[in-house]
Amino acid sequence: MTDRERFDATMHYRPVDRCPICDFGFWDETVPEWHKQGLPTKVEWNSRAEVSTDTWFGMDCYCAGGTPNVDLQPGFEWYVIEDLGDHEIVQQGDGVRVLRKKWLGSIPHHVSHLLTDRDSWREHYLPKLNPDTPERYRGDWDAAVAEWKNPNRDVPMTVSCGSLFGRLRDWMGLENIAVVPYDDPDWFEEMVTTLADCVIGTLHRTLETGVKFESGSMWEDMCYSGGPLLGPEHFKRFLVPHYRRITDLLRKYGVDIVWIDCDGKIDALLPLWLDAGVNCMFPIEVGTWHADPIKYRKEYGKDLRLIGGFDKHILQGARSEILAEIERLVPLVEDGGFIPLPDHRVPPDVPYESYLYYLHEARRVWGQGINLKPSPALENFSQ
Amino acid sequence: MDLSQLTDAIKSGNRKAAALLTQEAIDAKIEPRAILDSLIVGMDDIGARFQRNEVFVPEMLIAARAMKESMIILEPLLIAAGIRPEYTALIGTVQGDLHDIGKNLVSMMWKGANFNVVDLGTNVPPEKFVEAAKEHNPQIIGLSALLTTTMPSMKTTIEQLRAAGLTSTKIIIGGAPITQEFANQIGADAFAPDAASAVEVARYLVGPKAA
Repeated sequence: MTDRERFDATMHYRPVDRCPICDFGFWDETVPEWHKQGLPTKVEWNSRAEVSTDTWFGMDCYCAGGTPNVDLQPGFEWYVIEDLGDHEIVQQGDGVRVLRKKWLGSIPHHVSHLLTDRDSWREHYLPKLNPDTPERYRGDWDAAVAEWKNPNRDVPMTVSCGSLFGRLRDWMGLENIAVVPYDDPDWFEEMVTTLADCVIGTLHRTLETGVKFESGSMWEDMCYSGGPLLGPEHFKRFLVPHYRRITDLLRKYGVDIVWIDCDGKIDALLPLWLDAGVNCMFPIEVGTWHADPIKYRKEYGKDLRLIGGFDKHILQGARSEILAEIERLVPLVEDGGFIPLPDHRVPPDVPYESYLYYLHEARRVWGQGINLKPSPALENFSQ
Repeated sequence: MDLSQLTDAIKSGNRKAAALLTQEAIDAKIEPRAILDSLIVGMDDIGARFQRNEVFVPEMLIAARAMKESMIILEPLLIAAGIRPEYTALIGTVQGDLHDIGKNLVSMMWKGANFNVVDLGTNVPPEKFVEAAKEHNPQIIGLSALLTTTMPSMKTTIEQLRAAGLTSTKIIIGGAPITQEFANQIGADAFAPDAASAVEVARYLVGPKAA
């Protein structure tokens, strides 16, 4: 099977040759750290590198991208406002001014926000959320569409469906956006509707090409270790109708797998997402608050698909613990509708050797050694 | 005047009503300490409901904002009456970590419990914690970290605080990757899993007077 066939069969509970073997990627600091531990320096974590980590580790693909930008277009100018030695204050492409470490990939600290009220929304953000802006669509649009439509395409494609809350949270800061549904519900509604309209307008043009996408994907990151950053009542009132608009459109064009990238404790929102047609959760953070993909499957049945669910913190531990975590997920792998992978990006305190052991065992146990991609990383690996 | 209305205004996060009712209570010659207590009862209720997942971060934020509005009016009277927070808490995100949302929520809830809170910000080196602890003489120090890679900074900070002679100051740690086991390992006095729990833990550590 190709990656495309395997993803589609897995997500629809059809027979597969084996489980996809995939990853969520790495912290920016991880690969340089692993270079010191024996990973060849030609290996980098991006597809433009001489050798990508995907190639080196022999990973399958579950979500090839490249579809139109449904975010701010054009973005704000990115520039350094102040150099502070090992830190700097920059204006990001989303208009937020942040303090960040120069060389590290950690989430930066917000210093100030351009989006503060109705006026700044209308002046700075609203004009950048027009779905008809030509620059949303890549210059090689016709060639790209032809490639996506190629019946021999072997990777599953996901069509980007944006965010309804996560972006607003980034643009305003949590403490500011959290009170808007109370202080000015009409404005909150206006902003969410605008984001949804931008996604839907862009999706129309993309889906009308006739490309058969294997999934739609959204990003929110709107939960923390204790629960959601927006209460279920507000979520249901303001967001669910727009998720439904988006997922209805996707289904009209045959895209029936819609996954959402949301860190943190998603329990309170999960049934609402399912009701709204978002039927696949990612990355199911086990280590942060003990999420359990097996429990989710028992609770919600096969309507719910799952990607993630392997506790990445265990990669720092003993080999026996790593193997036990892999084996814990086997029943769900056999059940289908599930792609196991570390529950977030692998941090730099995971030893390279431990990661190789994880990879070796994941391919053996989850992949059953069947039709695996070559993994140069494991050529000289011995247990 | 029935102070339960003021408590309800805090619980529902109605800042206009909170300010209005605070002024009414002052005009009715109600003791500032009693007014303050009614605000704290409201924040305690929100904290308890937050722990039970009945309310979420936005509801905590609007409640804290309502209390802040009340305190702007009430604080001069408290000072004039010689009523000051009984306990001081120092808080910061440890060195190497720029995350501040969790720290801010704890800071907000501690203020809501009438702690005097000194917020050192993010990426705080151990030396700065020591320096501030010597200056403010807190009963509680809160250390926050979001990243597994910055968790070791918590250990370093605790070591330096203890080495500087701050042996009786209670240290509470928290953040997404933090566990009770880790708190035990590095010699913290307690672990708080969320902002509301941080209030309970702090009160427990400093004794019944803070309640």
